[in-house]
Amino acid sequence: MSFVLELRKVKRTGFLPAFLSGGILAAAVPALNMAFRSEMYVGMNAAPVNILLDANWQMMSMLNILLVVAGACILYNTEYADNAIQRMCTLPTKESTMFFGKTAVLITVSILLLMIEAVSVFGCSIHWFEESADLYMETLKNFGFFLMLMLPTILFSLVIASVSKNMWISLGIGVVCVFVATMIPSQNFVLTLFPFALPFLTLESHTADVIRNYTVAGAVETVLIALLEVMILKVRRSFE
Amino acid sequence: MNILSLVPVEWKKIRRSKIFFILVLATVILWIPSILNADFNFGMQAEGISPENNFFIQGFMAMAWFIFPATMVVITVLQNQTERSNHGILKMLALPVSTAKLCMAKFIVLVSFSAIQFLMSIGMYYVSAMIAGSMQNYNFMLPPFFIFKEVGMMWASAIPMLAFFWLLAVCIQTPIFSIGIGLTSVVPSVLMINTKVWFAYPMAYPFFVITSEYGKLATNLEMDQVELIPWLPVAALITVVCLMISCIRFGQAERR
Repeated sequence: MSFVLELRKVKRTGFLPAFLSGGILAAAVPALNMAFRSEMYVGMNAAPVNILLDANWQMMSMLNILLVVAGACILYNTEYADNAIQRMCTLPTKESTMFFGKTAVLITVSILLLMIEAVSVFGCSIHWFEESADLYMETLKNFGFFLMLMLPTILFSLVIASVSKNMWISLGIGVVCVFVATMIPSQNFVLTLFPFALPFLTLESHTADVIRNYTVAGAVETVLIALLEVMILKVRRSFE
Repeated sequence: MNILSLVPVEWKKIRRSKIFFILVLATVILWIPSILNADFNFGMQAEGISPENNFFIQGFMAMAWFIFPATMVVITVLQNQTERSNHGILKMLALPVSTAKLCMAKFIVLVSFSAIQFLMSIGMYYVSAMIAGSMQNYNFMLPPFFIFKEVGMMWASAIPMLAFFWLLAVCIQTPIFSIGIGLTSVVPSVLMINTKVWFAYPMAYPFFVITSEYGKLATNLEMDQVELIPWLPVAALITVVCLMISCIRFGQAERR
């Protein structure tokens, strides 16, 4: 119910077209990279999906995170812009319901985003590399992992967006967080647990054990951030 | 009203915006890794760059590639949102002030914010050079004249980019598109500086200026150097066209 409501609210904000075009832009990265310098990658001795992600995922995930940050800001800006949030607060629903409705919307469009990118990576693998039997599984596994690690980012950017009434403050903090994430060395396990740094990781960059740890950590972080937001809302409500 | 009296008005509007908090946060965070990793500066023999030069260049490279353009996008959002919330822009448009002047005054505020951010970075550079210097027992400080010359060049080269961001903010009414296009246009600048047509992409200018300086300071490193001839005319053209369109378009959506 809340999900449908939140989806209706973003109808005229250009939210969906922005994510669609962002997905197409990110999907164009591996395609363009292969079109211009395929000779650099074709001879490499690794699974095609891994070669492609190794070469392009940094830029693609950067685009994804920026889109998520901007999307989260817009989702809450529609509430704050004309004090609509005050009306929402007088309704017989919890404020956290709205937050989770918005989370569901952002997760849905992020899945859409990742799907567009997965199709592009899959297509590039077929076009430029020899076809291998486990290509479907490889692509699915990688993008499933990406989605898993994107959840903390989505929730955290929504928390940032929900805290401030002014969009530039939440956008500014989001941008600074993205910048921090770009400076974190990818081999340091503790530092990469920063929610905005997780989506930069790829399956290939770590051993299976570490990957399992990351998956668990991503799930734990998601729950913790959700609890944090519920607490923030409770405290804020009692001080208003 | 002339433009000189309009600029202070625009400044006053964003007095309580807490934007300085974000600028300071960004600048401080920018230099923390440089301080922590200061010992890396001594291992640059392959590039042939001295530790103090490397310290300066790495810090400002990190600034030019992402955080500086991104905070400028945030400031355009700030300028737009303060006017649009409570329909402040409608009141401004009702005044006997030419909209083009209003638009230029706002752009000047944006340009001065970029100058402030560079000045803060210089300040933080000296602070962190001092801290890193006392940690490593090495003098990382470079003469102020050199720093101001380099940073001044970066700032000047950022003006076409600011004009482009301003065009986005004025012409695109849906905030997610102006923010999205602004932020995503920053990302490919790493690729653009390595191509032959870098001068056609204003978002890459500050980053190009600092990497070419890196090439100059590092004796073993070949970087493309600044060639003024295709660059200056193209940059001037981009700036003028962007500003002209934004001056014409300013306030048109509200006056419909």
